[in-house]
Amino acid sequence: MSWFSRFKNAWNPRRLDEDLAEEMRDHMERRATDLQRRGLSEPEAHRQAAQRFGNLTGIRETSRELRLWATLDDSLQDVRYAWRGLVRNPIFAVTAIASLGLAIGANTAIYSIVEAALMRPLPLFQADRLITLAAGDADAFSYPIYEKLRGSAGDCARLALFGSPDRVEAKVTGADAPYEEVMEQLVSPDAFEVLGVPPAVGALFSSAEDHYPAPRAVVVLSHAYWQRRFGGDPTIVGRTFTIGTRPFSILGVARQGFSGAEPGKFIDVWLPVTTTDPDIFTTDVRLFRLMGRLAPRATRDQLAARLQPAYREYEERRSERGDLPAAVQKRIRETMLLVHSGAAGTAGLRRTFSRPLWILLGVAGCILLIACANVASLLLARSTARAAEMALRVSLGAKRTRLIRQLLTESLLISSMASLCGWLFGRIAAPALVAMVSTRAHPIQLDLAPNPQVLSFCASICALSALFFGLLPAWQATSSGPIVELRHASGQAGRLRLGRLFVGVQVAFAFCLVTAGAGFLFSLRNLAAVDTGFDERGVTVLNVTSTTQRDRQLTVMQQLQMRTGALPQVQGAATAWMAVFSDARRAQRVLLPGRRPSEREETFYRVSPGYFAALRTPLLSGRDFTFQDNDNEPVATVVNQAFARRYFGNEAVLGREFRRDDGARHQIVGLAADSHFGSLRGGPEPIAYMPMKPPRAFTLYVRSTLDPVSVSKMVEREAQALGDVRVRNATSLEALVGSTIRTERLIAGIGGAFAALGLILAATGLFGLLNYSVTRRTREIGIRAVLGAERGSIYGLVLKDLSGTMAAGLMAGLAGALMLMRLTQGLLFGVQLVDPLVIGTALAVFGGAAVIASGLPARRAAAIDPAVALRHE
Amino acid sequence: MLTLTILSRRGPTHGYGIANAIQEISEEALRVDEGSLYPALHRMEEAGWITAEWTITENKRRARIYRISRAGVKQLAAERDSWSSFSAGVARVLRYA
Repeated sequence: MSWFSRFKNAWNPRRLDEDLAEEMRDHMERRATDLQRRGLSEPEAHRQAAQRFGNLTGIRETSRELRLWATLDDSLQDVRYAWRGLVRNPIFAVTAIASLGLAIGANTAIYSIVEAALMRPLPLFQADRLITLAAGDADAFSYPIYEKLRGSAGDCARLALFGSPDRVEAKVTGADAPYEEVMEQLVSPDAFEVLGVPPAVGALFSSAEDHYPAPRAVVVLSHAYWQRRFGGDPTIVGRTFTIGTRPFSILGVARQGFSGAEPGKFIDVWLPVTTTDPDIFTTDVRLFRLMGRLAPRATRDQLAARLQPAYREYEERRSERGDLPAAVQKRIRETMLLVHSGAAGTAGLRRTFSRPLWILLGVAGCILLIACANVASLLLARSTARAAEMALRVSLGAKRTRLIRQLLTESLLISSMASLCGWLFGRIAAPALVAMVSTRAHPIQLDLAPNPQVLSFCASICALSALFFGLLPAWQATSSGPIVELRHASGQAGRLRLGRLFVGVQVAFAFCLVTAGAGFLFSLRNLAAVDTGFDERGVTVLNVTSTTQRDRQLTVMQQLQMRTGALPQVQGAATAWMAVFSDARRAQRVLLPGRRPSEREETFYRVSPGYFAALRTPLLSGRDFTFQDNDNEPVATVVNQAFARRYFGNEAVLGREFRRDDGARHQIVGLAADSHFGSLRGGPEPIAYMPMKPPRAFTLYVRSTLDPVSVSKMVEREAQALGDVRVRNATSLEALVGSTIRTERLIAGIGGAFAALGLILAATGLFGLLNYSVTRRTREIGIRAVLGAERGSIYGLVLKDLSGTMAAGLMAGLAGALMLMRLTQGLLFGVQLVDPLVIGTALAVFGGAAVIASGLPARRAAAIDPAVALRHE
Repeated sequence: MLTLTILSRRGPTHGYGIANAIQEISEEALRVDEGSLYPALHRMEEAGWITAEWTITENKRRARIYRISRAGVKQLAAERDSWSSFSAGVARVLRYA
């Protein structure tokens, strides 16, 4: 087992060294004793013994090298030396490790989020055979489409339907238990089979759930929820689980590790889609996502070829109201039904966050490069002090590669310790980042536990950064000949050149980040300043569900509205369909008499009387709704200015009529001011308001000076008095509006933080280099001062040295920033590509930092005492 | 080969003993730097042909004793064969050339 003993000897060579020394010493002593016995004197005997032995040191080294693993021994020696070097220079070590650790931590944190949200495949059997469907860009389908596509797919694939995960209130332990919030999802009966999820306890949905109109009221729990809430109780099957007011029976628990097919959402309970509102089976309400599993020998293209004609046929039949505008027909023809890989689940989170996350990763990468350049500069400065040491070692026979290996070991040690700190920092930062973006309305949950992908990412950037910041300084440090260094002559010019390069790199990236950060911040400010068209302060938005019979629903809703409006401290109340800015809208095309249907679909929003007053959207002419208005044709309608402008130009609109594309007639009775509905970007949308229809669930807007929780309690009391009405959750209108810009807020916040970090790093790099430059030129400055140069010109001298580098860095940084802004154009708002405000601000900020960074060295230069300087080496 | 022969014939001994034996038997014809024996010994030890151990000798001194291993015996036999055929070949060339 010689390799094992060689490994052991390399690990702890001291024992080996002692053994060898003792053995050879023993030999020489025996020889000396022998010679003494033959008559020589003691000193002569020892001398002859040594002579006969030969080159002791050489022989010992040869033996040593035979008996241990040389590479490991050398490397361990390097590591010990590097460690001692760091301990002796604590400031350098802490600065390098801190700045690098922060950068590596940021990268690891964002990468772990990217991996968990965008890249990780679902833990399902043969996940690469799964597919998701999309129609062009949209991935929401209705139940009728699902049935049609399922039929067309035939034996090529099995398709399943998934609703949108939703927070609902449930009583889980009994009829008297309080309501708890659970995450529910509607799925088609074969969903579990299609995905390949077996039960852990009990059974899962099967074709028994496919009965309508009397479906079994059963639910399936997720394993995590079962463990968390019921402690893994094995008697769970058959127990009652009440959602809202409907009782269900627990059919079973899905296997461990499966929490749904949508990354970012952990589902607690699944319901069969057959238990939902019957309307969805016949109307084209697009709420569902479709996933499927390909048959063993089928391909995605085959499936797409089968489904495309079916989809087109469905769309054409749906739009068959006679003539359609050419643009609409074209759109229908061109919308491709796409079959994407479903290995990573449905695309919900990916759509919203894919771009911002990759951008953030790129920004974090910039920070890493800046930090690497920073550490490289520090190493460069240190190599000045070690020049003599390197020269000595070269003259003693060390090969250049051996020296470079040692310097790279030092770099690797720094970057390993930085990675350790960074890893810990990332473990804290990643969940914090997710929490920043997750809101009550749109909660996001990710499994961020350490896994091999993230670990290997951290390890690779550790190694790569060691290479980045270590190689050039190592090359430079070992390149000058011994004679030159031992005389302290300027091999330092090469060092300065390299130093300028590093500072230039830092300046470029930092300026790029500062410009991009300024762009994001300005975008956010612009978005936040958009006039929503209503007064969002002081309005509580409540989701209310009503379980009364259909004919009483409208009355109950109106009563709730009136009673709420009459409460003290409530200035107004109104009801509406879904809440504004809640990702839901009812859109229809508009048909004017004598003209073809519009090419766009407009928003149709059902509201109650008092809506405009409650939200403070001015009513410009005509009248508000009354409780007598209903859905009888012609439907009383209030349109906003954008709608009027688009369809009626500058003409008066009161009294005019139009049709929806499903045939209903509308008559305009009022004109409201513009307001936003779904997004703050773009101008105000055209909206047509119409009276409420009996709803199962509606939104109650309450304008009040109280906070949402108190308002919610008050309304809950009124609701209980009316019976069969429940408040599901409450939020404020401000929060809803704010949640539409959470992506922008995230990017601006993090981009700004990174820009500040990059700026600080670049400024320290600049400071370090200027300091070095001043030190190098101390004599020259002293002479100039003696000859009468003024302080100002000395400042100028010091700064002129670096002006070229700074200018080059700024130009490169500007180019990089423009490219970054072009890539992120979708996220910017109110900011042009080459926006003078953004670039001006960035230049100002950067200039300020540069002035501060160069202030101290410049002052030092000006304060140099000529007498001291002239004696300086 | 010489070391292996000595160890196999004379039994285990230390480095000094081997050096002396080589000198003595070859009647001073082979005399090299004594120290250069040791890298050779260590090389053979790494190859597994001899094993070494620190033991206390009669004089109460610590010495590293080498002994031939089974693999070493095989190696010795192989080397002697090749030496024999080599020297036989040389002899034939000298006689018949």
